[in-house]
Amino acid sequence: MNYVPGTASLIDDIDKKHLVLLRDGRTLIGYLRSIDQFANLVFHQTVERIHVGKKFGDIPRGIFIVRGENVVLLGEIDMEKPCDTVLQQVSIEEILEEQRLQQQAKQETDKVKMQALKDRGLAIPKADNLDEY
Amino acid sequence: MFRFQSLDEDCTLEEEDEGLVEEEDEINQFNDDTFGAGAIDDDWQEEHKRLTGLDKGDGLGGGMGGESDLGGAEDSSSTYLPSSAGHLPLPSSVPSLKFSLSSSGLPPDVEDRGGGGDLAESLARLILEADPAIAGVGAAERPGPSPSSSRSSLSALQGLDRPRVPPQPSSIPHPTQPHQHSHHPQHQLPPGPSAPGLPPGAALSSMLSYQQQQHLLRRGTAPMAQMNSHSIWENSMGFGPVSVSPGLITHMEDSPLMSIIKEVGLPKQPPQGRNDGRDLSERVPPPRSSSPVIGSPPVRAVPIGTPPKQPMSHALNHQIHHPTAVHVRAPIQHRYPPPFPERVSPNTLLNIANSPLCRSPFPPGVGSVLSQIQRVQLLNSQVAGFPHGVPAPPLLPGCGGGFRPFFGPPLGHRIGPPPHGHLNHAPPIRHNTTHLHPQHRRMLTQRMQNRGGDRGRTGGDRRSRDPYSNLMTQKEKEWVTKIQMMQLQSTDPYLDDYYYQNYYEKMEKRQERERDSSKKEHATKLITPQVAKVEHTYRPVQFAGSLGKLTVSSVNNPRKMIDAVVTTRTDDEEKREKQVWNKRRQILYTVEKMYSMLLEVQDFEKRFVQAPEEDREALLEQHKSNTMQLCSSLREKEWDDRVSDEQCVMIMSVRKGKRLISRLLPFLPSPQAAAVVMAISRNLPALAKKDKQDQVLCWLVGPVSAVIQSLSSSALTDLLQELQGSEGQLATVLHNKFGVTLLYLILSEGERMQSSDPNCQLMDDNRWTELVFSVTRELLSVPSSSLSPPLFTPPNLLSLFSRYVDRQRLELLQDKLQITSLSS
Repeated sequence: MNYVPGTASLIDDIDKKHLVLLRDGRTLIGYLRSIDQFANLVFHQTVERIHVGKKFGDIPRGIFIVRGENVVLLGEIDMEKPCDTVLQQVSIEEILEEQRLQQQAKQETDKVKMQALKDRGLAIPKADNLDEY
Repeated sequence: MFRFQSLDEDCTLEEEDEGLVEEEDEINQFNDDTFGAGAIDDDWQEEHKRLTGLDKGDGLGGGMGGESDLGGAEDSSSTYLPSSAGHLPLPSSVPSLKFSLSSSGLPPDVEDRGGGGDLAESLARLILEADPAIAGVGAAERPGPSPSSSRSSLSALQGLDRPRVPPQPSSIPHPTQPHQHSHHPQHQLPPGPSAPGLPPGAALSSMLSYQQQQHLLRRGTAPMAQMNSHSIWENSMGFGPVSVSPGLITHMEDSPLMSIIKEVGLPKQPPQGRNDGRDLSERVPPPRSSSPVIGSPPVRAVPIGTPPKQPMSHALNHQIHHPTAVHVRAPIQHRYPPPFPERVSPNTLLNIANSPLCRSPFPPGVGSVLSQIQRVQLLNSQVAGFPHGVPAPPLLPGCGGGFRPFFGPPLGHRIGPPPHGHLNHAPPIRHNTTHLHPQHRRMLTQRMQNRGGDRGRTGGDRRSRDPYSNLMTQKEKEWVTKIQMMQLQSTDPYLDDYYYQNYYEKMEKRQERERDSSKKEHATKLITPQVAKVEHTYRPVQFAGSLGKLTVSSVNNPRKMIDAVVTTRTDDEEKREKQVWNKRRQILYTVEKMYSMLLEVQDFEKRFVQAPEEDREALLEQHKSNTMQLCSSLREKEWDDRVSDEQCVMIMSVRKGKRLISRLLPFLPSPQAAAVVMAISRNLPALAKKDKQDQVLCWLVGPVSAVIQSLSSSALTDLLQELQGSEGQLATVLHNKFGVTLLYLILSEGERMQSSDPNCQLMDDNRWTELVFSVTRELLSVPSSSLSPPLFTPPNLLSLFSRYVDRQRLELLQDKLQITSLSS
């Protein structure tokens, strides 16, 4: 029940299972236990879900406190809705391995790209720097 | 009233038991509610013996095997109850439990209960069996995730003893995994409830295992590794010393275990563990943005950033102990009163929840605008024995009238009390939607109604099983909401929330247009919370006489470095002022230029002496040109040879200009110097007026006297004439010190001329004489007060006057001017 009708608030989301996407790309799933005015979130029984291709793996993380400014998306998970995804859950080791491979591949391609650009005298700033400007 | 407080005494418990039961109806009330009919007093000692006797029995196999449905347990429980004689009226049993532990000098700390575990078991059994609601809950919990069920049942027994622990501490591995629960109880429940009567076998077992864990933890085993959330939860199970009033705690604990079993009680457990942190924060709330220095604005006691405290409401205590009998079934998710007493018995909670709702004491229009405080008061009034169904009217107006806006003064409107959470059966809650557009309000109510039926139940149910729910207390939620609402306040809604306003306006217009054909409704006015624009100017503290201001700055008043005062002026004024300023600037500029020239001229002498032979010519030339320039600067127009009066006066309107002239005069060629002096005397009144502030005209005396002495007689006469000027000029001249001095100078010069040179032309025409006559006349007529004393009095004035005036007047003059023949 929204305490303040006509507004959006996280109060109603408390004690519900949520999925949050953070700015660094992590996906956390957990029960939202507490919030504050900055939308700092306290997650309980948090699980970090790593997706690689069609596979995903869950790493249990316990209790998370997320600083509000790092939240990209936050959404409630509807427990009743049937889960009919094509995603396949794998073990943690496997998913971490997959992730590592994926990042390695990405780095390789990035390197090649940067080299090509350098050869042409161009430079593209890396995304992680953009934030500072 | 609170008998629990006498636990520490080593008194005969039995008497206490019976006596208590007899005296206090409330206890029976508890019993009736929780245990149903048939709850009877019993001797715990006997019970203990009986249970220990069973210890040697075959154990849990039979008992534990029964994973029978709790629902089915009812019958068995009812059979069991009379037989086991393990019934104890709970309230008295609990103290008895406590008492049994008092051998160790049990502080009223609930957790520290030792033996009498059998009792605990039986109690738990009672709780679980007796009430169908609980049984139903237990059954519902069964299919749920095992941790939660074990947790819930465990939490139920939080107040129980852990009898099994002492004998077998070693057998308990550290943080138990959920799957271990099934094992431990096997070992731990030998005496246990006899086979048939163990419906909540599994639950009980898990309860006991939990007890073991609790005990272990109690004993200070290493902090549990948080291997999984389950153990985390157990860790936080309020092991810390609950430092609030012990009496209160005992109450909470005593409100029986069954309260905890009901899901209502469950959520309280984790927060109780957090009470420590809360308490600490209560003790020392760190003022974050305080500026304790003198002069800073008053600091709020709780600056934004500190989570809300939980006040202990005595009203709550009162409620707890005098609950009105209410059916226990309705699920409740919110915690109504401030959750310090986390362990509010479900009875009380339900009382609180149901009473205002069921009775709906307020007219529908009022809605739920009460604050928590008011509700508590209301409940108190109800509890205190008001006739059923009669709300507490005397309280209401008081409450309403003295209603401190729930979220403090800044809010322009009230927020409806939130905690109706998931009460589906409650009448639709009317939040305070006055700040919304009426259209918006309508939409919202529609939406709420649509949503009200379908979602609530499932959500409530789900949350009922979650032991970690309501970690965020009601107060905290309100606090966050309050902050969010504060951010919504607007002094200019059209500026801050333009799109919202426009959208609803358009919608209204559209509706009006549609409706226009049928009937003409008056346009609904939009009410938005408007906060008056209050100027929060803070003036820093200033001490009189100190240089500058105190450097006191805080978050609320950053230091004001520059006192910039904005003065608004009209265009005309500005123009005039600008002109004035321009002119003045020009004068100053001229003065500066002349000064530099003058300095050069003055330095010439020095430089000339020092310069080598060949340079002297050049220097001389330069000097001459400089002098020329100086002279010319005094002229207004380039081609005009005469010294310009206006120019002189202009220059002399500035203090520096006067100084300049005084220094300049010696260097001017005599005609020009004379002209300057003439100009001075001609414009003396004006100059005098301008000089009022500076009073530096007297600087001119020296050079002027030099000039005068070089004047010819005719020039002198002219000068005197100029000085006298128009009518009344002399009077003003006499006012002024410089004027008087100048006059005297002139006169004395004249006298000198006459006395030294009998043939001087001063007397050739009568002008001089006439002038002197007029001067004397003026001198005599002018009152002494307005006569300004001169800088000095030339000695020969007397002789001058003696020439022209008769004796009588001479004497008068003498007196007036204080000139004596011997004055020097």
